[in-house]
Amino acid sequence: MEIVQILAFGILMGGVYALLSSGVTLIFGVLDVVNVAQGSFLVFSALLTWQIWDLTGIEPLLLIPVMGALMAFFGWIIYRGLVKRVVPQGPGMTVLLMFGVAIAMEGILNIAFGNKFKSVTPPYFTQSLQIGELVLPYPQLISGVMAAIVLVGLFFYLKLSWAGRALRASAQNKDGAALVGISSIKASSLAFAIGAMTAGVGGVLLIIMYPIYPATQYDWIAKLLGIIVLGGMGSIPGAVIASMILGISEAFAQAYIPQWSAAIFFGVILVVLLFRPEGLLGEKTREDVTT
Amino acid sequence: MSEAVLAMVDVQAGYGGGLVLQGLDLQIDKGTITCIVGPNGAGKSTVFRVISGLIKPKSGTVTFLGKDITGQSPSAVLRAGVAQVPQNRALFPEMTVHENVLLGGYAIRRDRALLKQRMAMVEEMVPLVRERAKEHAGNLSGGQRRMVEIGRALMLNPSLVLMDEPSLGLDPKSVAKVALLIREMAASGRTVLMVEQNVRLGMNLATHGVVMEQGKVRLTGDAAGIADNPEVATMYLGKARED
Repeated sequence: MEIVQILAFGILMGGVYALLSSGVTLIFGVLDVVNVAQGSFLVFSALLTWQIWDLTGIEPLLLIPVMGALMAFFGWIIYRGLVKRVVPQGPGMTVLLMFGVAIAMEGILNIAFGNKFKSVTPPYFTQSLQIGELVLPYPQLISGVMAAIVLVGLFFYLKLSWAGRALRASAQNKDGAALVGISSIKASSLAFAIGAMTAGVGGVLLIIMYPIYPATQYDWIAKLLGIIVLGGMGSIPGAVIASMILGISEAFAQAYIPQWSAAIFFGVILVVLLFRPEGLLGEKTREDVTT
Repeated sequence: MSEAVLAMVDVQAGYGGGLVLQGLDLQIDKGTITCIVGPNGAGKSTVFRVISGLIKPKSGTVTFLGKDITGQSPSAVLRAGVAQVPQNRALFPEMTVHENVLLGGYAIRRDRALLKQRMAMVEEMVPLVRERAKEHAGNLSGGQRRMVEIGRALMLNPSLVLMDEPSLGLDPKSVAKVALLIREMAASGRTVLMVEQNVRLGMNLATHGVVMEQGKVRLTGDAAGIADNPEVATMYLGKARED
């Protein structure tokens, strides 16, 4: 039973990782930009959620659509105002730019919210759902399920809507997309907005589970980058599988060797990449099909 | 007098400071298959880039169906009715054949009925689109990909189809299928303008030929005349013409 319990924990956490990393890998797929500021986006959303909850006492889950929309708009502005101008300089420069954005945001968040842990503690914060011997704390359960719902919605949006098709087309073959009349600027803006939206939703889910302060962004961006590299850069299914593997391995590590849990998380990535450098679902060379 | 689909008058265009097209005049008539040949660097691909709006000419005009399209954006040119089948593989490898062709109708995506009608038309012209609808484009052979690319270009029911090296990298059987499709396109009233390195194949397929040299049109005429032109035969067809 203990194993089932740990597995359930791992899957729930994996769901949250999957949502957050999908946003990063989507942006990379469409723009070739590694959004190293996703951790800051996440923390920004989390701290803003805390602020609204602290002032109004609102049920934090109601803020999921609000923070999702707000961060999507924020991401759109960051793309239009900054990233678009730097993209022609190449991927190296965009990483530097986004790193700058991350540090600047961390500084601003420090001033605005202080360098202290903040927690949102709704009534169900300490309660659990018990199914037989299986005990699922509500914060983890709700976060995992919500992340899965948003992720499934995102999947169908990308699969069935014209905007989603345009995004996938841009990610798979930019010249081909231009040829059928897909504007790369519009596709890139949308990818950035969706990526930031996942951070917006994720921020609400995280602050229900963990205390957050501005520098928490480093822990998260390290994990998210690890996940998208393990999954294969640009592959959303890859990011989901990698998230599950890492969520579950981390849960087992936390249960049996908690002091090693971070090492296990990154150790798994290291071992897989030794045998599959392109990541789980990454492609060795895209040139064979796109040039 | 035949009806001109495309007219380029005194077009000068290039990259950076240099001029590749140096006063190009070209007229393409409706329903024809015109093949442009010429040595490397003659400006064949640049002609396509100017028509499709990827390069803005420094001077001169491009008229399509009587409208001036000089310097318009690629998507505006596409909507006006000029589709392109490029030399490079341009499909979306992880999408199905159906999705690839559907995306060819991106510009008309809001008109569902029209989209459905066009898909049916493409499926009839290129049966492979229906037969392999659910297969990922990345799993197709080179010839099959080219057919799907042509199918995708047809989704906007273009009046003019630009084809860059349609036979490049294909086996003879696939080349024959592509050639048949090009003829069908012309028979259905579309105009085809292609660039082909394989001069013999190009002229066999085309109704008209254009020989380019140093950014200008050196020679135009019906394809048979161009192929039989002794100068062209020596330049491009080599000894094989003597067979």
